[in-house]
Amino acid sequence: MTIDMSQFYQVFFEESAEHLATMEGLLLELDIDNPDSEQLNAIFRAAHSIKGSAGTFGFTDLAETTHILENLLDRIRKQELGLRADMVDAFLESGDLLRDMLEAHQGRGQVDPQAVASICARLRNLSADESVPVGPPLHSAEEKGAAVVGLNVPVGKRAFDIQFVPTDVSAKGNGLANLLAELRSFGNLEILNQPASDMNSVGYWQLRLVTDAGQESFADQIDFIAENGAWRVVEETVADDVDGDFGFFDNSPGAPETDPEYGFFSPMGSSTDCASAVELPAPIDESYGFFAPLPQVDGSIPAVPAALGEDGDGYGFFTPLPPTVPAQHAAEEGDGFGFFEPLAPPSAPVEAIEPVTPARIISIPGAVEAKSAALPARATKSQQGTAAATESSIRVSVEKVDQLINLVGELVITQAMLLQTAAQIQEGAPERLINGLAQLERNTRDLQESVMSIRMMQISFVFSRFPRVVRDLSSKLGKQVELKTSGETTELDKGLIERIADPLTHLIRNSLDHGIELPETRIAAGKSPVGTITLKAYHQGGSIVIEVGDDGAGLPRNKILAKARERGLLVSDQMTDSEVFNLIFEAGFSTADQVTDVSGRGVGMDVVRRNIQSMGGRVEIESMLGVGTRMTVRLPLTLAILDGMSIAVGDQTYILPLSYVVESFQPKVGDIKTLSNQARVIQVRGEFLPVVVLHELFNIRAQSNDFSQGIMVVIDADGIHAALFVDALIGQHQVVIKSLEANYRRVPGISGATIMGDGHVALILDVSAIAGMAKTSLQKAG
Amino acid sequence: MEAMTHGGGAVNDDDLVASEFLTFTLGSEEYAIDILKVQEIRGYEQPTLIANAPPFIKGVINLRGIIVPIVDLRIKFNLGKVEYTPFTVVVILNVAGRVIGAVVDSVSDVFSLTRSQIRQAPDFSGTFDTKYIIGLATVDSRMMIVTDIERLMISAEMALIDSASE
Repeated sequence: MTIDMSQFYQVFFEESAEHLATMEGLLLELDIDNPDSEQLNAIFRAAHSIKGSAGTFGFTDLAETTHILENLLDRIRKQELGLRADMVDAFLESGDLLRDMLEAHQGRGQVDPQAVASICARLRNLSADESVPVGPPLHSAEEKGAAVVGLNVPVGKRAFDIQFVPTDVSAKGNGLANLLAELRSFGNLEILNQPASDMNSVGYWQLRLVTDAGQESFADQIDFIAENGAWRVVEETVADDVDGDFGFFDNSPGAPETDPEYGFFSPMGSSTDCASAVELPAPIDESYGFFAPLPQVDGSIPAVPAALGEDGDGYGFFTPLPPTVPAQHAAEEGDGFGFFEPLAPPSAPVEAIEPVTPARIISIPGAVEAKSAALPARATKSQQGTAAATESSIRVSVEKVDQLINLVGELVITQAMLLQTAAQIQEGAPERLINGLAQLERNTRDLQESVMSIRMMQISFVFSRFPRVVRDLSSKLGKQVELKTSGETTELDKGLIERIADPLTHLIRNSLDHGIELPETRIAAGKSPVGTITLKAYHQGGSIVIEVGDDGAGLPRNKILAKARERGLLVSDQMTDSEVFNLIFEAGFSTADQVTDVSGRGVGMDVVRRNIQSMGGRVEIESMLGVGTRMTVRLPLTLAILDGMSIAVGDQTYILPLSYVVESFQPKVGDIKTLSNQARVIQVRGEFLPVVVLHELFNIRAQSNDFSQGIMVVIDADGIHAALFVDALIGQHQVVIKSLEANYRRVPGISGATIMGDGHVALILDVSAIAGMAKTSLQKAG
Repeated sequence: MEAMTHGGGAVNDDDLVASEFLTFTLGSEEYAIDILKVQEIRGYEQPTLIANAPPFIKGVINLRGIIVPIVDLRIKFNLGKVEYTPFTVVVILNVAGRVIGAVVDSVSDVFSLTRSQIRQAPDFSGTFDTKYIIGLATVDSRMMIVTDIERLMISAEMALIDSASE
C-alpha cells in the first residue's frame, strides 16, 4: 500500500498535541484521593486516540509508549489499582516524552531513548504493582477492546466491493488520497487491488469497505474521482453475518472455544508482553497478522505455513484486515474463497502486496500491537466523529481567515465611503438609498463582528498550561503554591493568544520564584504556608486585562533602588513606587541574590515588556511589601482593528488609540508653564505633565499656536503621562490597521495607517513613542 | 549586481530581443523605464502628509486598500515645474515587492528598445547619479534616459525603505 501518509501527518501532529494537552489538563485536575471516573475515562480516551493514530501512521515509538501508559490508565480506570501521586507524575512525564517524540517526528529536537525506556519501565512497574498474577495486562487489554469496541459491534455493518478507474487528473492530484481518506472515515477500508507502480498512476482500483453507512453516502465521491462511469459499487451481504458469528471485535466467551487461536483482539497487550504470560499461542496470532497493517502482512506470510501447517498458503489471503475473518471462516468450512471474490486469483493480491516494505517484519510485535490498537481506536474515533459532527467544527488555515478579515476591512471602508457620499448629496439623497445604506451599515458591522470572532479564542488555551508550570516549579523550589484562575472564557485574538503565552509564563515563574516565599518564611510572617498565585482575565473597555497576582513578599523597593544605583541607572529616592517597580523591566536587571535555573539572570522581564508592547499592550506592576505583587497586562482585543479617536492637526487627521487616552480638556491661557524656557508642562489634577505639541513634533502648520484655541489630550503610555496638544477632536472610530511599512518604512511617532471613510489615509499615532519623546525633551530641559 | 539581473534590456545579450519601455518627462528630459515595473498610471490626489519626511515624499495614498507612498521625482531631481493639477500624473510602480507612486510631468510613450539601441551614458555628475542609468537611447531624434527605476527606488537616498539594500 503506497498511500502517501505524510500528507496527513500534520493533522496527526496537531491532533496528538491537542490530545496531549487535554490529557495533561485532566491529569492536573485529578483529585488523587477520589478520582472522577469521567475524568479518568477522558484521559484514557486521549491516550488511546494518540496510540491509535500513531499506530496508523506508523509512529511505533509513540504507539508503544502510549500503549504502556494506556495499560496503567486502564487499570486505574477499572479501579484495579488505586491512583497515586507518583502515577500522576509518571503520566505527566510520559506526556512530556510523547510531546518530544512528536516534535522529533516533525524534525525538531531529539528524543532520549533512555528516558523513554526508563519511563516505560516505570509505567510498567506501576502497572505491575498489586497486580493479579494472571497476565493482567492482557486481561485489561482484552476488556478494553471489548469495552471500547463492544459498543460498535458491527451489527448492521455492510461491506461494499468498490471498483473504479480514476481519471488522469484525480490520479495525478490529491483526489485519490482524499477519496481513500474519506472512505476510511466511513469505516474499515482495505485496498484489494491498485495500480502497480504508485498511487498516482491511472489504473484499476479495487477496494473493500466495511461500514455502517449506505452506498449513497460515498458513491458520489467515487463517481467524482472515477473516469466517466468507470466505477462500480457492489454490496456484499456476507460481512455482517460473519462478523456476528465470529464476534469480530468482541472477545466473547464463545469465540475462544470455536477457535481460540483467532483471539482477534486478545494479543493487544503486545506480543512481547503477553507471549509468555498468556495462553494464546503467540506465533499464531503473528501469523494471522490480523492486526498487522497491510504492508506488514507480506512479512507475516512466510510465517503462516509454518504455523498453520496443512492450511498452508491459503491464509495468505487474509492479509487484508477485516476480511480475514470471513476468510478464515471460509477456510475452515472448506468452501473456498467465495467471500473473496475480488481475490479470485489467490496469489495475485499477495504478490501485489509483497513488494511493499518487506523489512517491516522486524517490527511485528510493536506493529501488531499498534494495529490492534488502531482498530478499537478507529471505533472510538467514530464515536468521537459523531460527537464532532454535532459540534461540527472545521479546520481552516489562518491565512484564509486573515484574508477574509482583510476583505471585510475593505468592505467596512467602502461602506463608510458610500455613507459619506450619500450624506454629501446636496438636495438630500433619496430615502430608499439612505435606508439601504443604513441596512448595509448594520450588515457590515455584523459581518465584521462575526468574521473577527473566528479568530477569537478562549484564553483558557493559554491558562491551561500554567497548572503544570506551577506544579513542577513549586515542587522544584520546595514551595507550596496554589494556582487560582478566573475568566478562562475571555476571548482574544488567536495571534495574541500565541504571543502572550511566553510572557505570561515568565510572569508566573517570576511570581513563583521571587514572589511566593518558602513555607517556613510564610508561617513566620503569619501567612498560610500555601501561597496563592491568581491568574485573572477580563475585558475592560476595548482591551483585555490579564492579571498575575501573588500573595508573596512583594517587591523590595529599597533593594531595587540599590541595585539600580549599582548598575548606574538614574534613580532617586523621590521616584514613585510604580517608577521604581518599572525598573525591573530594564534589561539585565535582577534583584535575585543568586542565579537559579528558574530565574535571576535578569533576562526576561525586559523581554516580557518588549513582547507585550509589540502586541500593542502594556504591563503595570502594583506591589506592597509583605502583601504581594500584581502584574497587570493590558492587550488590545485584536491586532487588526483599533478603537481610535481622530484628531485634527493643521489640515491633517491622525488617529489616537483610544486605550491610551485618559481625558481631554481645553487649556486656559497661562495653564502652560515653561521649564528653562524650553520644555512646557501643564498641571493636571496636581500633576505636572509634559506638553507635546503635535504640530511641532510633526512639523505641520497648525491652525493656531494659541493653546487656548486647541485641545489637550492626556495620554497614558506605560505609566508615562503626557499632554498632547492638538487642534481639535473629530470623533471616535473603529479603524482597520494597515501597515505603513509594507510599502514605506517606519516613521517615528507613527505606528501604522488606516483608511478613513472618505478614502483618505490617516496615520495612527504611536503613543508610547510620543510619550517617550516628551519625557526625553523634559529631561533635556530639566 | 542586483540591477543587472532585471534591468530590462540592459542585460539582454541578444540584440534582437526588444523590451518595452514607458517614457515620461521630467521638465525637458525624457526618461524611459521598464514597463514591467509599472503597475498603473493614475491622476494625482492629495496624499496624507508624513511627518518629517523629506520634501520629495509627498505622503501616502490609499490605493484600493493599500497604503502607497508617493514620491515626486520632479522635486527629487529638481526638474520641471512643481505644481499639482488634475492632469498631474502618478506612475504606480511595482518594484522590489513594494508599490510606490512616482509623480512625473507627463507620460509620453511606450517604445520597444533592443540592447543595441541603448548606449552607454557618459559619466557626469549631477543630482541623478549615473549608477541608476542603464544608458541612453535615441528614438526619432529624441534622447531618452533609460533608467533602472527599481534600483533608484530602493536606494538609500530615496529613503523609502528602512534599510536600503545599497
